[in-house]
Amino acid sequence: MTRRSVLQLIVIGAVAGALATVVALALPWLPHVASKEGERIDFVFWFVTWICIAVFAIVAAVLGTALLSFRVPLDDDQDGPPIHGHTKLEIWWTAIPAVLVTAISIVSAVVLAENGKATANPIRVNVYAQQFAWTFQYPGYKNVSLPNLYLEKGRSVELTLRSRDVIHSFWVPQFRQKQDLLPDQDTKLIITPTLTGEFPVICTELCGLGHAVMRTRAIVMTPDGFASYMTKATKPQKLSGLAIFAAQGCGSCHTLSAAKSSGVTGPDLDYLAAYAKRAGKPLDAFVRESILAPGAYIEPGCANTMPPNFKELIQPKQLDALVAYLVKNGTKTTAHKGCG
Amino acid sequence: MTAVTEAHPGAAHGAGPRGWGHLRSPGFVRALWMTPLFGAIGLGLVLFFRWLGHYDPLWKWETITTVAFLTMMPLGFLAGIGSFDYWASYAIGRPTPEHEDHSSHGAKSWRDYFRVNTDHKVIGVQYVVTTFFFFVIGGLMAMLMRAELAQPGTQYLNPQAFNDVVSAHAGLMIFLFIIPSFAGLANFVVPLMLGAPDMAFPRLNALSYWLLPIAGVTFLAGFFAPGGFGCGWTNYPPCSTSAPWGNIFFSMGVQWAGASSIMTALNFLVTIITMRAPGMTFWRMPLLVWANFTTSMLVVVATPFIAGSQFFVMFDRVMHTHFFDPSHGGYVLGYQHIFWFYSHPAVYIMMLPGFGIMSEVIAVNARKPVFGYRLMALSLLAILVLGFSVWAHHMFVAGMAPWLRVPMMVTSMIIAVPTGIKIFSWLATMWAGRIRLTTSFLFACGFISMFVLGGLSGIYLASVPIDIQASDTYFIVAHIHYVLFGGSVFTIFAGIYFWFPKMTGRMYDERLGRLHFWLTFIGFNATFFPMHLIGLDGMPRRVADYAPRFADFNLFISLASFLLGASTLVFFYNMIKSWRSGPPAPANPWRALTLEWLVSSPPPIFNFDAIPQVVGGPYEYGVPGARHAVLESETMHAVEPEEVEKSE
Repeated sequence: MTRRSVLQLIVIGAVAGALATVVALALPWLPHVASKEGERIDFVFWFVTWICIAVFAIVAAVLGTALLSFRVPLDDDQDGPPIHGHTKLEIWWTAIPAVLVTAISIVSAVVLAENGKATANPIRVNVYAQQFAWTFQYPGYKNVSLPNLYLEKGRSVELTLRSRDVIHSFWVPQFRQKQDLLPDQDTKLIITPTLTGEFPVICTELCGLGHAVMRTRAIVMTPDGFASYMTKATKPQKLSGLAIFAAQGCGSCHTLSAAKSSGVTGPDLDYLAAYAKRAGKPLDAFVRESILAPGAYIEPGCANTMPPNFKELIQPKQLDALVAYLVKNGTKTTAHKGCG
Repeated sequence: MTAVTEAHPGAAHGAGPRGWGHLRSPGFVRALWMTPLFGAIGLGLVLFFRWLGHYDPLWKWETITTVAFLTMMPLGFLAGIGSFDYWASYAIGRPTPEHEDHSSHGAKSWRDYFRVNTDHKVIGVQYVVTTFFFFVIGGLMAMLMRAELAQPGTQYLNPQAFNDVVSAHAGLMIFLFIIPSFAGLANFVVPLMLGAPDMAFPRLNALSYWLLPIAGVTFLAGFFAPGGFGCGWTNYPPCSTSAPWGNIFFSMGVQWAGASSIMTALNFLVTIITMRAPGMTFWRMPLLVWANFTTSMLVVVATPFIAGSQFFVMFDRVMHTHFFDPSHGGYVLGYQHIFWFYSHPAVYIMMLPGFGIMSEVIAVNARKPVFGYRLMALSLLAILVLGFSVWAHHMFVAGMAPWLRVPMMVTSMIIAVPTGIKIFSWLATMWAGRIRLTTSFLFACGFISMFVLGGLSGIYLASVPIDIQASDTYFIVAHIHYVLFGGSVFTIFAGIYFWFPKMTGRMYDERLGRLHFWLTFIGFNATFFPMHLIGLDGMPRRVADYAPRFADFNLFISLASFLLGASTLVFFYNMIKSWRSGPPAPANPWRALTLEWLVSSPPPIFNFDAIPQVVGGPYEYGVPGARHAVLESETMHAVEPEEVEKSE
């Protein structure tokens, strides 16, 4: 090992390390953290990042120096020194990584355990997912069901998650928390928001055609704001077709101008009247049948992919309101390509 | 040593079949009528039993497709091209002369590559060419996806088509490119490295190969079935069990590819254990052989699990079993446990052979012995064992038993240690060497740098708290491409360049090779590095549409991916042109020591005129006068008068 190559080793390592540090610090790797659990996770993230930058710098230094110092022309016909190994060195590069990953494991395990603990008196919310909508039910607030997740700053929420059909996954990037929803067992997740504001709730498990648009919002309020919102939300309300349309996630797949939805997986509902005519049925009965038994009539160009379980998810009174709402707004009769 | 493609002296090819004879002798013509015949038999069976049982409807296309199109027709094809001829003749007691003379061995013209051939070198080439065909198709699918994702909203692919393409891209790249292309390279190289005339079971080897195109066609045909298969390559139920019946094309495609994998692995194991040349102890085996030995053990133990998982899904769909149907006591997470019990070891199935290639390429081009040879082999075994204990790190957010998270995190972390040993040992092998920067060595350096990045992002994913944020996002997409493209595919390219002279008898163009490397390296990083960021920032994977704030990044990624796609054109141009008209390759262009370089390029039909004698380690570069093996023919050559004249 010549002095020149040692110098090269140090210089390249320093440059690589500095570059990696700049990349790590200058780019916004993580969205702004908005939960206690997220703050702990970010600590692990940076702990791992510093170790990784060091490893990267070492590898880059050795690789770079080898390529710069020991390169010979292609037609060179000499061999390198017959070095077969070096036991001490091999022990070191087995032991040091082992220590590092053990350290990362310990830090991770501690944070994981901490993140499983809620603050006193948490809000309990039952989260239901279906293709392609979210419902949040509040057992402590007269079982009210809301299409958005309303939370209180500084107070933990204990989510009990369940899917109504296939596997979905609940994710709020700012909370750093994610959990799959299964159809056959409950899963749990704890979040303690630290910021007020609106954050996206994203489905991250491929769940079907509307997966990309299976989104809603988590809204974190001040304690006062949350209390007054829940008082309002728990009052008995008139059945609104629009609210049911939104809560059932119809807009993920269907366009309906009145609901400002623009899904393209299923037929454009502005033209319901045209489809009913083609199916040869009265509009009211056609709409009802298409919700309860989606496969009964398939618009040409569309696939039979609408979930068949809405008959279990929508109560009779809600269905009446929804059908009335759709009949009122889906009046266009001009010929129209159903899907795509 | 010029008996390059000359058939064995005993080979009685004759004039071949004429006229109607084509219909009876093995080949594509016979396959052309046997495939539909078998399909019709399958159809008849299904219809008969449905009629017998008064099932309604009689014509249930899902069942018919599974039995007639995806099981019977492939069998008919295999029978037609002659995969079973020897065994069938033997079983019914007919004489089997046309096969005992090795007439199905070796290739005299390009046509022989389209026949059932029992020569491991022909099969190796068949594998590699077939897998690169599917690499192109899978790559074009990736280009389609990136075109769709260049802007938010829906432009070229509707959600259905997008989900199909996502699933088929992964399915093709994993099951029809990476895994079998390693099998193909090893098929060509391993028997040569062992000093063996062929694989232990040449007919099984041929059958393994011919299952591959079947698997590929099955995957592609899924696009034309209702619903395609749009639940990702992971095919989780209940999505897979409730999706339209195009899904069975995935389940059955995996069966054919998996069967091929298992048979090849068995073949490698028996070959490596029983057919090593005299003197080739386990501790004198090249690390490529070690790598394929460990990989094969992984395959025979793990692959049956994915076969099982896909059978269960298919049974749930076709036979109304309830393995994964929660309303009848099925266990949804059970699928994921079975699936990942294969699919995590599968990551090593896609990586260990590449490790083997790296050891060869780096030692030969750096002109130094592999640093810590024994530890390199032992770390392969460590990865093999540990690889079976980490599967649930794919399920940290899946809702499995919470206590399982930390143990699986610890094992996943520990597997970084043997992997680290390999990386450091390769670096130490390069250190103080005399490095010749051939294309294969460039790809080796690309591999080390990219695989280190992929390994480091793997540490993030092994840590449960970080994984909770990163799981199922574009961070995962970035990670798996750093590991499988920057890792596996770079090693495949290195291996192709390294053994191209041996396989084809021609040299490739180094300048084009270097151009290919740099375009790929830059395109690759520009495509996949930004994905880490958008993933952590909130973009989930497998989505046809995304929030507008990711638009700029996605446009950049799409443009970079087109560069990456275009870079392979350079590769194909170089390979095709060099294969047709490259300068003839000497027997040992890299001055390597292992056995495959001691015979001509391409090697003679039975590899070695006489069984070689192994006398030392495979990487004794720089040791004066060191030999790995001695060929008997060398001593014979020495006394041949011709040779003496030439040397004078």
